[in-house]
Amino acid sequence: MDASSPLKSSPPENLRDRCQTLDLVLQVNGRSRRVVADPRVTLLDALRENLGLTGSKKGCDHGQCGACTVHVDGRRVLSCLTFAAAAEGKHITTIEGLAPQEGDLHPMQQAFMDHDAFQCGYCTPGQIMSAVACVTEGHAETDADIREYMSGNLCRCAAYPNIVDAIKQAKPLMRERDA
Amino acid sequence: MTISESQVGPISEGGMFGKPVPRIDGRLKVTGAACYPSDTPMEDTAHAYLVTSAIARGKIKAFHLEDAKAVDGVLDILTWENMKGKVRSVRFFAGGGYASSTIMPMSSSKIWHAGQIIAVVIAESFEAAREAAYKVGVDYAVNKPKAGFDESRPQPRPMTNPLTRSDPATGDAEKAFAAAPVKIEAYYSTPTQHHNAIELFSTTCVWSGDQLTIYEPSQYVHGLKNGVARQLGIKPDKVRIISPFVGGGFGGKAALTARTAFIALAAQRLNRPVKLVATRKQAYTVSNFRAETQHLIKLGAESNGQLTSLSHEGWEVSSRPDEYKVAGTETTAVLYACPNIATRVNVIHADRSTPGFMRSPAEVPYIFAIESAMDELAVALHMDPVELRRINDTQINPITDAPYSSRALMTCYDTAAKAFGWASRNPVPGSMTDGDWLIGWGCATSCYPTNVAPAEAKVTLAPNGSVRVQSAGHDIGTGAYTALAITAAEFLGVPLERVSVELGDSTLPPAPVAGGSNATASICNAVADACKELRHRLVTAAVASNGPMHGLDRDMITFSDGQLRAPDGQSETLMAASARLGFGPIEAHAKYMPEIASKTIKLVGNAMLGKGLPIMASGTSAGDHIQYAFGAEFVEVRVHRRTREIRAPRIVGAFAAGRIISPTTARSQLMGGLIWGISAALHEATEMDHRFARYVNDDLAEYMVPVNADIQDVEVIFVPEDDTKVNALGIKGLGELGNVGTNAAVANAVYHATGQRIRDLPIRLENLL
Ligand code: FES
Ligand code: FES
Repeated sequence: MDASSPLKSSPPENLRDRCQTLDLVLQVNGRSRRVVADPRVTLLDALRENLGLTGSKKGCDHGQCGACTVHVDGRRVLSCLTFAAAAEGKHITTIEGLAPQEGDLHPMQQAFMDHDAFQCGYCTPGQIMSAVACVTEGHAETDADIREYMSGNLCRCAAYPNIVDAIKQAKPLMRERDA
Repeated sequence: MTISESQVGPISEGGMFGKPVPRIDGRLKVTGAACYPSDTPMEDTAHAYLVTSAIARGKIKAFHLEDAKAVDGVLDILTWENMKGKVRSVRFFAGGGYASSTIMPMSSSKIWHAGQIIAVVIAESFEAAREAAYKVGVDYAVNKPKAGFDESRPQPRPMTNPLTRSDPATGDAEKAFAAAPVKIEAYYSTPTQHHNAIELFSTTCVWSGDQLTIYEPSQYVHGLKNGVARQLGIKPDKVRIISPFVGGGFGGKAALTARTAFIALAAQRLNRPVKLVATRKQAYTVSNFRAETQHLIKLGAESNGQLTSLSHEGWEVSSRPDEYKVAGTETTAVLYACPNIATRVNVIHADRSTPGFMRSPAEVPYIFAIESAMDELAVALHMDPVELRRINDTQINPITDAPYSSRALMTCYDTAAKAFGWASRNPVPGSMTDGDWLIGWGCATSCYPTNVAPAEAKVTLAPNGSVRVQSAGHDIGTGAYTALAITAAEFLGVPLERVSVELGDSTLPPAPVAGGSNATASICNAVADACKELRHRLVTAAVASNGPMHGLDRDMITFSDGQLRAPDGQSETLMAASARLGFGPIEAHAKYMPEIASKTIKLVGNAMLGKGLPIMASGTSAGDHIQYAFGAEFVEVRVHRRTREIRAPRIVGAFAAGRIISPTTARSQLMGGLIWGISAALHEATEMDHRFARYVNDDLAEYMVPVNADIQDVEVIFVPEDDTKVNALGIKGLGELGNVGTNAAVANAVYHATGQRIRDLPIRLENLL
């Protein structure tokens, strides 16, 4: 810090020295993970900044785009609108936990690849988490239903028709797998 | 939908061009492993939060920082008082420099526009930085701002005086208009728009000694590197930009914005990494946008439909200091055969941030005006709008007589019309219905100049037969990774899985901005040149050796399936052939210079590229010809008889864009473009509070973009086209082609459904009451 800085103190050793922090244990992708963070931290920022799970994306931080969609106890949730503290003790699944790191992809991930259901890919983790939930909720029975129940996830690259095709491909495969 | 190979033209020698393959970076994107710049893991990061101006014009009288400083975890606050003189000015991008604006926030107390960066708060956590930013107190001296156009219909000004103006013109448009038996004269307008890529504007800076690494999503890493270096007064080789994935660019991440230097300085002051993720609201003013435009079009025609007079005057808004304009009259003046043409572009300066590129910058607003007017002319002539285009089709630039390198516009029209079922259209407005829905069918021309830039690429063949392609190009969703891999696989005859591609890092060989739809054409040609050099070396050694190619004619040897092949069926593996050249990998570094480059570009193009300056050979003047990609777009809209709700359930576009390297990603680009077009026509507008020159709908809830439920059938058809005048590989860029004609096609369809001609975008149900 140079002499012209408005703050003359030296930088603190770490967050805990100077800020009030919260000590949490989150169940993410089947593992217990400890998070020490500002009490106001959202689930999205806890995943991204504290746990290095950057698959979930920040597109608005206000519940308007769907890029941050994850599953909490099996339901799709906007992680930017969820306090990390409120997710303690619940089962959180992120895009990283949908399929094992090596080997076969989840049928929805494979279907997104097969149908080129993305371009820049930034909305994609959120789209896929929503798409999986869309099928398990039973909201993927018709094209119109899919379009309606996928409308919380914006795609500025506008891959929408390919996303619908991908969900139609993955739906029977997911059912087969779960049967 | 799958794409059959015959749809994009003949299969190439290596069997790869035109073959629909999945995106090679797809797995990374569907697993969350693709590392966008703000995803980069970093130790000990401090977080930055921007404070932006609440007023549009005036001055900062004083800051009150006590409350902000008192927030736990705050580390530093930057304002003009400690930043003055720390950032050097660099030239404006549109004037051949680096910066998206010459406005330099925090260089003084002056406020040029609402949302200008006035302070940066850095803290231990994002939450603390945000809290402190909210607590920064500011006293302003406020002047009344000018928000944009003063009047809804600006007064026309005298048109082209060839002695003083460079606007395209020929003949006497005024006289011909006066004499024309059929005339159209109307104003059109397009609104302010913002890119709203889903990825936010982020910047993370890390110093290691005097070496600065910047993680920032960029459509031009070499421009960013050199621009920041100049701003900070350090050598360009001390700056590295890392941006392997970009979460949507659309023009918003092409030029250097003010934020980067501040984050670099903050990281230097604190001697630790600093990360900024600007908020969605801030995205409306920390980068550029598409300014609102107005147009006055006058068309005169014979009663058989032949144009006799075309004039196009445009008005655009820019910031106070920058003369930015897209000036799409360069294209509208050459679109149709017409002996008398006059054009003019006017810039109105206001207290706004500087506008800039947004997907299909020049063409989108200007083609909306001319293609709406053409539809109005067809109505006045009682003529089918497709036939009106046919009568006025041209294979030459009507002003200079220079030929188009190729122009398949009417083939696009006929192909798309057939797929759409246009022949069954009843032209009478309001005549086609489905229950309570009025059905409207409309069409329009799409076109985009085939720009090509100098580009470099390195291709390395490893001893194990794998191939590495390296270039500082960008994949902003366009499919560049895939197109470049296909090109290397094509020329070296290796399976696609054996090719890896590295992009988005300023330490790689320089490549042009991902903009102006030049990148695929430019970089694929560079990769092809590098591969050809490798082939040459391999073949030369092979025919000189005692191996199976001994003594053969070099030109007879082909590469496929990982083998060198002779016409008599003899073959040897690529690995065996490359071992002959030594044990290690063999590499070739190509510097591609566009065939159409002017003498000046040929002379200085490579040097300018190396400096990250904008350099491109434009399709609007490619030596002895002009070169454009074309398309025809047909839209069905449905307007509810009572509620006036507007839907666009069906759109068909046929496009001729030269050789299609990667049909999967090209189709997605065009499909996305068509949906962008529907969006611009029916959804998007950034609304302004004119009293304060501030945007009022600056978030994703209130800035309308289509959601999945807004879009139904989108059909993209490739019209095969062979044109090697544009560049050796015959590629015409198409990232910006898809959304050019859509605005007018939608507006024309709305007219057909309702009989109401809406000349001001976007078209919303309140316009149809
Ligand atoms: S980041 Fe959560 S909805 Fe946009
Ligand atoms: S793929 Fe780019 S936003 Fe959806």
